[in-house]
Amino acid sequence: MAQWILVAATALVVLGGALGVQAVRTGRRNRGTMVCMLLAFFCQLGVLGVRGELRGKCPLGDYGEILAFLAWSLVLFYLVVGPAYRISLLGLFTAPVVAIFQVVALMPGVMDRHPVEVDEVDPWGEAHAAFSVLSYGAFALGAVAALMFLVLNKKLKEHQLSSSLFRNLPPVRSLLDSVVRLITMGAGILTVGIVAAFMMERENTYGTHLVVAVVTWLAYLVVIGMHFWRGITPRRLSASVIVLFVLSLLVFAFV
Amino acid sequence: MNIVCLGLNHQTAPVEVRELFAVSENKLGQEAGRICEIEGIEESVVLSTCNRMEYYAAVDDCRIASNQLRSFLQRHGGEPLRMEHLYEKKRVEAARHLCRVVSGIDSMVLGETEIFGQVKKAYQAALESGTTSRRLNKLFQKAFGIGKKVRSHTGIQEGQTSVGSVAVDLAEKIFGHLRSSRVMVIGAGEMSRATARNLLSRGAHSIFVTNRSFERAEELAAELDGEAVRFDDWQNALQEVDVVISSTGSPHAVMDRAHVEAVRRKRRYRPLFLIDIAVPRDIEPEVGEIEEVYLYDIDTLKEIAQEAKGQRAEQVRLCERIIDQELVESGLFEP
Repeated sequence: MAQWILVAATALVVLGGALGVQAVRTGRRNRGTMVCMLLAFFCQLGVLGVRGELRGKCPLGDYGEILAFLAWSLVLFYLVVGPAYRISLLGLFTAPVVAIFQVVALMPGVMDRHPVEVDEVDPWGEAHAAFSVLSYGAFALGAVAALMFLVLNKKLKEHQLSSSLFRNLPPVRSLLDSVVRLITMGAGILTVGIVAAFMMERENTYGTHLVVAVVTWLAYLVVIGMHFWRGITPRRLSASVIVLFVLSLLVFAFV
Repeated sequence: MNIVCLGLNHQTAPVEVRELFAVSENKLGQEAGRICEIEGIEESVVLSTCNRMEYYAAVDDCRIASNQLRSFLQRHGGEPLRMEHLYEKKRVEAARHLCRVVSGIDSMVLGETEIFGQVKKAYQAALESGTTSRRLNKLFQKAFGIGKKVRSHTGIQEGQTSVGSVAVDLAEKIFGHLRSSRVMVIGAGEMSRATARNLLSRGAHSIFVTNRSFERAEELAAELDGEAVRFDDWQNALQEVDVVISSTGSPHAVMDRAHVEAVRRKRRYRPLFLIDIAVPRDIEPEVGEIEEVYLYDIDTLKEIAQEAKGQRAEQVRLCERIIDQELVESGLFEP
């Protein structure tokens, strides 16, 4: 059941991306991407709801669920940030990332078809998992906005101004503001996730997963600190946010 | 459908002629009523903007009604009206003209949107004073539909065709709203004055003006409501501003890489847009290699403007095609 809803969500995301491409090609704005992403968001909620029922806890028990949760979190931040900052093209850039996460989640063996229902739930463990993955949604969207900046920056530097993509990209300043807001928001949420991790019931050892999570958190804090304290060139800020996000995905390898 | 359009606009008549015929917005309906009193004219709409004055009338006989309208205009203007100031369109030509006007392709600023609202107000005034009926209602409704289609299916409003406007568009692409952007003008020449004015009209503030002759800097600063900076001090102002317009008559570069490198840290690496409209160039090309600097010289800006002109001409042809196709499909002028 959950897999089929995820298939529907993926189809909607791909459709949203295609409508975004069409909007860029024709130079005409449409709300199709936003509507598709909104519908995909509800489908993702359905997936997480069904999986949560099956597990009897927050649905973050296997890689498939983590990817579905991550995709949901990414769309959530897109729906919050996209319209608020008038970043109309964010959907077009977000859709492929969400689609990739969900397609991987749908691959055989990635999402456990018959998850084991747990008897007992550790609330700190649940909070750690949920807040951490939620923060990754913000980091992912920050990376998407950073990528948009790099595209726009290249076009402005090289005076390639005639494409429809250039005309539809939001201003440099809006993109940079969004990048900073998203990673700051993500770091704030991850702080809660990290604190919850230290409160979890565990033996007296700190696993590799937690170490990587703390390193990721510190790395984002360094970038944010650099930006607010001494300034950082927009290109370096964007490149750092993209590289950090890709590297930070390592954290899931140690779940 | 017998429709006549008689009018004058920015292309056919100078402002001193156009102002003789101008009708204020609250009297458009009344004026349309006066037109309907002319024998042979059954319906009318009067359009009056700063760039055009047009009478649209549904008539029995186009030739007779046109003569009647001309006589009316002669009396209305108060002095002999020269025929070359007027244009006259009949039947499908009148409809095509209305569609061009509504779509903004007959405007002084190609593709401007204000005219759409002005025509709507003129039609509304005529409708309320009861001077429109079946024919003009159909025609105007169709024209509004076509106007919307033209704007949504073409890029008639896109692209700037002057160096100043291109620069302003680029500034908006970098900074978004220019309300929080600060500008520095180096050199008090005509080009920098015009570009600075363009930036001001889009919301930029805190203009600093610097020039070798401080007096001229003060004059321009006063004109732009900005602040004059001594030429020796412009480097200090560089850390404050977002946009620099440089247009001095200097035979050598005024700004080099070291000038910008010196203030990068103080500027906290904020984007800096440099517009070099001087010949020979005021800003060394190497400055554009700095990560957060966007440097555009006069040739690049002209190239962009030229490209936009070509694109606009193509868009106008596309608009004309849409208008013709829509009018044919409407069946309003079937033989």
